[in-house]
Amino acid sequence: MAENLQTIIAQISEIAAEFNKDIQQTKSRDDTEQVKVKFLSRKGVVQNLFVLLGTLENQDRPRAGAELNRLKNDIQNAIDEKLKSFQTGKRSIELFDPTLPGKEYHIGSFHPLLQVLDEIKDIFVGMGFRIEEGNEIETDYHNFEALNIPPDHPSRDMHDTFYMGGKYLLRTHTSPVQIHTMEQQKPPIRMIAPGKCYRKDTPDASHSPIFNQVEGLCVDKGVSFGDLKGVVQAFAQKMFGKDAKVRFRPSFFPFTEPSAEYDFSCFCKGKGCRVCKNTGWLEISGAGMVDPAVFGFVDYDPQVYSGYAFGMGVERIAMLKYRVNDIRIFYENDVRFLEQF
Amino acid sequence: MKVTLKWLKEFVDFSLTPDELAHALTMAGLEVEEFYTERHDFSKIVVGKVLSVEKHPNADRLTVCTVDTGDGQFSVVCGAPNVSPGMLSPFAMNGGTVANGMKITSREVRGVKSSGMLCSEAELGLSERAAGLMVLPENTPVGLNMEDYVGNPDTVFDISITSNRPDCLSIIGIAREIAAITGTSLKKQKTTFAVTPQENIDDYIKVDIKNSFKCARYSGRLIQNVKIKPSPFWLASRLHSVGIRSINNVVDITNYIMMETSQPLHAFDYKKLAGKTINVREAVDGEKFVTLDEQEHILDKEALLICDAEKPVALAGIMGGLNSEVDNSTETIFLESAYFDPGNIRRTAKKIDLFTESSRRFERGTDPNGTVFAMDRAAKLMQELADGRVLSSFIDNYPRKITPVEIDLSVKNTNKLLGTNLSAENITAYFPALEIGINKQENDLIQIKAPTFRPDLTREVDIIEEIARLYNYDNIIPVLAPPVNQEQEANQKVNFKDQVRHYLAGFGFKETVAYSLVSEKLAEPFIPSKNEFAQLLNPISRDMAGFRPSILLSLLTTVAYNRNRQKSNLRLYEIGNVAWKDQQKEGFTEFTQIGGILAGKSQEQSWYGPEESYNFYDIKGAVAALLHKCGINGYEQGQVVEPFWDVESSSILINGKYCGAFGKFNQDVCSLFKIKVADIYGFFINYEELFENRLKDKKYDPVSKFPSVPFDLAILIDANIALHEIEKEIKNSAGPHLIKIRLFDFYKGEQVKKGKKSIAFSLTFSSKECTLGDEEVEQAVNNVLAHLNKLFGAVLRPG
Repeated sequence: MAENLQTIIAQISEIAAEFNKDIQQTKSRDDTEQVKVKFLSRKGVVQNLFVLLGTLENQDRPRAGAELNRLKNDIQNAIDEKLKSFQTGKRSIELFDPTLPGKEYHIGSFHPLLQVLDEIKDIFVGMGFRIEEGNEIETDYHNFEALNIPPDHPSRDMHDTFYMGGKYLLRTHTSPVQIHTMEQQKPPIRMIAPGKCYRKDTPDASHSPIFNQVEGLCVDKGVSFGDLKGVVQAFAQKMFGKDAKVRFRPSFFPFTEPSAEYDFSCFCKGKGCRVCKNTGWLEISGAGMVDPAVFGFVDYDPQVYSGYAFGMGVERIAMLKYRVNDIRIFYENDVRFLEQF
Repeated sequence: MKVTLKWLKEFVDFSLTPDELAHALTMAGLEVEEFYTERHDFSKIVVGKVLSVEKHPNADRLTVCTVDTGDGQFSVVCGAPNVSPGMLSPFAMNGGTVANGMKITSREVRGVKSSGMLCSEAELGLSERAAGLMVLPENTPVGLNMEDYVGNPDTVFDISITSNRPDCLSIIGIAREIAAITGTSLKKQKTTFAVTPQENIDDYIKVDIKNSFKCARYSGRLIQNVKIKPSPFWLASRLHSVGIRSINNVVDITNYIMMETSQPLHAFDYKKLAGKTINVREAVDGEKFVTLDEQEHILDKEALLICDAEKPVALAGIMGGLNSEVDNSTETIFLESAYFDPGNIRRTAKKIDLFTESSRRFERGTDPNGTVFAMDRAAKLMQELADGRVLSSFIDNYPRKITPVEIDLSVKNTNKLLGTNLSAENITAYFPALEIGINKQENDLIQIKAPTFRPDLTREVDIIEEIARLYNYDNIIPVLAPPVNQEQEANQKVNFKDQVRHYLAGFGFKETVAYSLVSEKLAEPFIPSKNEFAQLLNPISRDMAGFRPSILLSLLTTVAYNRNRQKSNLRLYEIGNVAWKDQQKEGFTEFTQIGGILAGKSQEQSWYGPEESYNFYDIKGAVAALLHKCGINGYEQGQVVEPFWDVESSSILINGKYCGAFGKFNQDVCSLFKIKVADIYGFFINYEELFENRLKDKKYDPVSKFPSVPFDLAILIDANIALHEIEKEIKNSAGPHLIKIRLFDFYKGEQVKKGKKSIAFSLTFSSKECTLGDEEVEQAVNNVLAHLNKLFGAVLRPG
């Protein structure tokens, strides 16, 4: 039997009216389920109308389909509403137990080393430093020569280097990033270079052939050793609290002059403990005023500009902060470790 | 570098306690690693006199001695070859303890009772000399406690010397630092000794320097009539304190003076030098030479050799030759004290991998003007301790004179660089103790002469460091200037990477950081064809042979590690650099990669539902979510090229470019990592592509104030048409009001015709201008249907 649009629309209205009457009379879940079967089952009233759609003229189908879809949705919603209204009944109260565990979530986390690095980055960005990154495979020129470490210089002994053939090596510090940055930009420069570095150390509790470093550089007119001390001290206080103290000791690095090692006051507040080997100080890393020879390599005029540079080991700080006593743990990625952060 | 308190006090007077001295040196740049007072337990160890020595009845090499301690006589079994009646030697009585912790008791040795022990210096911890009993001078009182004989224990400081301070590889250098810190000056040392009159050294030896760059100065002295014998106790024990073994008096003297002055000396046995000649020349390529330690070295023409008329006798600045070594029959010494070019010594030592106390000093730079002083100090001791006769004239060839460097120092520059306010007087006050000379001083400018034992002082800034050091870094006031150049733009590439980390952590992934050095075996399947493993020339192990070619390699390693620890269900990510060696061009390709991994179950069996394992659509969901967060909505999928994927895999194409892939790891790669159950899914995306294609400029898109209209569309379509194609075409044909497409049903199988699939979308329409009427939605759906029908032959699914 061919139907036309009007009769279908009319039937839709009738079904809607009939449904409204039925649903109002339902008094229980079972009543409601029966109404659901009558209207929405595979052989229910609404489905029968869908079958009739196929007999309509092509141009009428979407309109009728839309109406029918709407009817189906309305009925479904009304039934859901009704069913929900019965849920406050005694049966469901009995099922409810607020002490059952909630559904498990996948809890993401950040690696502790990178959490510390994030904190370091935030502090320096707040002090006007820009973050720069570079490759881990570097050239001898950028890792050594341009940092005033000529071939055959004894200070190369401080850097047990992995070589990759030709002029290539794995960077032993992130200082080459400073050279790249100075090659591309003119002062003023305020940057930090975080990243992985490599030295030929056999892994043990306190040595890792791969480690993360942050190096900072500031070049401008009139930058002094006092500025270097100020920035490092501000960092120490932001990282370890306002009571943190910094101590600078003379040292030697080919790329800085004067050069320094700097220490932070230990958590024991100078009382002396195992961590600081009873010295009250924790060795952090090196720093100094940029050696004029380095400026020569990047074509900055040392008569006009001066600068400071400093470094720090991320693992060292993370070990102090989280009381981790074996550096290798950071690279094992045992989820029982990662879960703690 | 080890030094002792008593030795230092021979050169400088000071009253600092060991603790104060350690702190003062550290704060001046000479980091004291540790210091300790040498302690010997000498209770019950006294001076004993050997009264008689009898052969042991049951052992050839043992003797039975009677020892008198003044308090009594003891019968002792002794194994020392030098025991003789009448000698005085330390005697450990029963109850005493020797250096290795052994407690002396009465016992039987091969059937003979022995009470106590006659001791060597080694047994008392006074030196390494263990070959015979310690011989005490004849006038030592018998029964004297050894503590009273040895005197107060000395304090040893172990100082880490930076490579720019070769002068501090000596007692005098460190004493000079102490003088500078405490504001005193060095005590002068005498080098006077008696000499044989009227003999010309030229009659004995001639020195010819062929390369004055590599050897700027060669000084030498001849000492005749020497008696080679053990060093006196004080010399052996002092060398012992600073970590040097005692050999014999002559060799010990050269070492002692090297420790004192930092000038390495070498003693040749004069009679082994052929032709009364020393030639300082370069080696020829391939020339062989055997050093004192009996090692043969093959040299190249860079190396510098000390030769006699016929043969090389020493490897200059590094080690003497076996063929000219001082031995017990040596009577005449030719003592060498030279200055060699630092770079050349280092290159040679490195090439042949032979580093000695001598090479360590030469390669850092010795004092070219200190050769004669050191040589004369040694000659004096050889006279005193080896009965030597020192020839009056000596060799001093100095073809390339090295003069003090002159430096202009500006007071203004000093204060500017340090952030201090020092006067010229403040500054120059530091110079005398450091032996920095002042040529002249005019207004702001001080012209300085740097001593030649300080090769590190060549520029103004080097002098500024000296001033800062002695002023004390602690006294420089920290300044926190307001941030400069705050106008600089943040590094988007770094920030975006951190954003990606936050997205992934938000999706429940745990961040990992793995070693980026891996084995070649594991790397192999991850290296793109036609490229090579980025290998290290000098790896520490096979497991860390080169740079990882893929972040997935690290993640699979992490999975294997955790699975071995009963952690099988994992949801991890890592962002890091990967690299390989390029075959096409020189060097390496290095870039940053993002990787994620899902392993095992996504949900374990619980009270609210059954367990669920991760599948392909979990990893695809993660990739889609990440791309969505980065504002990349139009990615396409294609065939993977990596060999480690299972068939359940897909590449990620952004603007047609291969940017990554995701899917299930195949059995082979899991086996390679010793992962037993191959239920691991992963993805990688190259960071550069993600960064370049990210939505750079997010803009607010106003949401509609009008209700949206849902419409479910179910169609039958050819099974081989990709869903993203269908969705694309729906978008192309639905008009401007379609705001969302969501697939909610998918079916392939018996219920539909072969080669077809049934798919159902929930479409949502909405307009920002008005409430959409049914007609508009119907029209849009009709257009979609007609378009899909025309393009793909899709038809509405019959109810």
